[in-house]
Amino acid sequence: MKAYTPFVIGGVVLVVLLRLRLRQRGRSRSSPPLGRHGWRRGRSLLGDTGLVAGREIRERVRGRVFRVVTIILFVVVAAAVVIPTIHTSSTKPTTVGVVAGSATLDTELHQLATSVGLSTTLVQEPDLGAARAALAAGRLDVVVDAQGTIVVREPVSATDTSAPARYVRALSTTLGAQRAFAQAGLTPAQAAAVAKAKPLPVESIQPGKKARTTSEATALLGVILVFIFLTQYLTWTLMGVMEEKASRVVEVLLATVRPIQLLAGKVIGIGVVALLQAVALVAFALVLAKAVGSSLVEGSAPVVVVATLVWLVLGYAFYSWLYAAAGSLAERQDQVQSLALPLSTPLIFGYIVSLTGVSSGNASLLVKVLAYLPPTAPFAMPTLVGFGEATWWEFLLSMLICAACTVAVALVGARIYRTAVLRTGSRVRLRDLVPKLTP
Amino acid sequence: MADLELNGLRRRFGTVTALDDLTFSVPSGHVVGFLGPNGAGKTTTMRAIFGLTDLDAGSVRWRGVPVGSAQRRRFGYMPEERGLYPNMQVAEEIEYLGRLHGMDGASAAAATQQWLERLEVADRARSKVESLSHGNQQRVQLAAALVHEPELLVLDEPLAGLDPTGIDAIGAVLLEQARSGRCVLFSSHQLDLVENLCESVAIIDHGRLVASGTVDGLATSGARRLTVRVEGDREGAWARVLPGVTLSEVDGGEVRLVLADGTDSDVVLDAARVAGHVTQFVFERRRLSEVFREAVGR
Repeated sequence: MKAYTPFVIGGVVLVVLLRLRLRQRGRSRSSPPLGRHGWRRGRSLLGDTGLVAGREIRERVRGRVFRVVTIILFVVVAAAVVIPTIHTSSTKPTTVGVVAGSATLDTELHQLATSVGLSTTLVQEPDLGAARAALAAGRLDVVVDAQGTIVVREPVSATDTSAPARYVRALSTTLGAQRAFAQAGLTPAQAAAVAKAKPLPVESIQPGKKARTTSEATALLGVILVFIFLTQYLTWTLMGVMEEKASRVVEVLLATVRPIQLLAGKVIGIGVVALLQAVALVAFALVLAKAVGSSLVEGSAPVVVVATLVWLVLGYAFYSWLYAAAGSLAERQDQVQSLALPLSTPLIFGYIVSLTGVSSGNASLLVKVLAYLPPTAPFAMPTLVGFGEATWWEFLLSMLICAACTVAVALVGARIYRTAVLRTGSRVRLRDLVPKLTP
Repeated sequence: MADLELNGLRRRFGTVTALDDLTFSVPSGHVVGFLGPNGAGKTTTMRAIFGLTDLDAGSVRWRGVPVGSAQRRRFGYMPEERGLYPNMQVAEEIEYLGRLHGMDGASAAAATQQWLERLEVADRARSKVESLSHGNQQRVQLAAALVHEPELLVLDEPLAGLDPTGIDAIGAVLLEQARSGRCVLFSSHQLDLVENLCESVAIIDHGRLVASGTVDGLATSGARRLTVRVEGDREGAWARVLPGVTLSEVDGGEVRLVLADGTDSDVVLDAARVAGHVTQFVFERRRLSEVFREAVGR
């Protein structure tokens, strides 16, 4: 319940914002008509921003790049969800032919199967010959003769880690040991006691690597996806602004639209495409995970998924203004590269540190610090959520820090954009803008 | 009455003065040519009308009101360096720009279709802008400036690089817009075309207005020149005694006169009629290119 709290709060905030928006729309509807026939009435700030965003969404979704990338992402995510389940869940029960069996042996066979993650069906066979024939015909997967023989269709390699191979090796070892106990004259009770012997625990003076939990695995996938999404969509923002400047269409647009409306429309439009693609991808991943019985939908993994989506939005919101401002400084491809590098450095740093953190199985102090810095929080905070090391208020605090910094970055970005986007010719240098940027 | 008024516009870019107390006005119902040598400040002036460049001083007013975003919605602009999204379809792009100027979707679509037909590019409505020829892109750019029925049309070099058919098509549209009461201001270096299209011009140099007025007025302004033929006085003796009139040439009965400032041409006509039957009385016009060169001193 604790883990869901930030999302409940986020939902409430969203509902309040939507209600405010509806109230505003209601007001603009009731305002007196301003235009003649054929003209929109009661124009609002969102009107032009919405139109700009709408164009961005239409043009981006139509583009070949979007379609190709979407297909690739869906295929990769499908593979990431399905492939682990193929390895771990041979759901088809293993059919074991038993010759001269007993209730004790049957129980033993079932327990061993369970221990390696298999389910078994036992078939009593009259003799070893009949059992061999049934094995050869494919009706049985393995034959166990209580007299001391195990027969399989194909040799089992010592390096084969599949569940059926491990089952056969366990049968061989366990039944061999029991046979030795019987020959040594142990009573069944003594043999059972010896069989239950547990290995002594081995203590290490340094902490060991713990097995990766499902939510950590989800965080790993999430960090990678956030990086791919941010890289792709922030590049779109940068290039989109640069192309508008290079094609001079920005001059026609700014003759009727305010710079902040054009900038916000572009940022929102591309952001909506990113979010829709991410939500579709996540929904697809969850439905697929449910269908194939993946652990992605188990435990707190869905919380990590939602946290990842939240930080995708926050990360995009934080960086998009900077990338758009950078785009307004350039009007050629070669000018863009030198601008993108300093912006992508914190992005790549946050990504690598978080990815290393998730892979090592421990949230380092560095990850914990980066989770509160807006440039790196989109990777570090979902990582902490994956480790279960972020409480709801820590999550919310990081969100608030990011939101506040986003507002500041947006104000600076919009100022740079307004001043630089109409300056054509050579690349605009930030120091040339300083006198204009200071109020 | 002038609808667009530019008052004392000043703009400096570093050490360069682009606009230097530029003042002039543009009336509706006329095609007004905006002339000046390269670097005179024409584009900066046009950008200032749309708030695309900050002004150090001065104001732009539309029908007595300082121009803001509400006014600019009713303006149409065709910048010198054409600006359209190269990857968008022609019709969608014009509709989009119409909607940004406040039109609803249906009206923008209808107006787009109408303008594409009027400018003879309707068959390229679904083509991408970048696939069009230069001339057709120019027509599409004009359609984008006109789609929302602007009250003021500002066009920076709309005729540059066009073939005669394109010039005729765009010129006809500009005249039609002016005749329907709109305010049309356009810049060009093709002075003969401007002379044919425009009722009036404003000529600037080094960011200052150096001449303005109707084309007829400018062509006949300055030291006015008259050619007069009077039966019975082939040597122009009647004119030699007129104050403020210099006889510059007598050629086979044609007397060429230069009138000083303030000399009334009607007085000259009256004097000629007293001298005999007047068979020729013609103001000699200067070509616009002469006016331009004289105004900018080059």
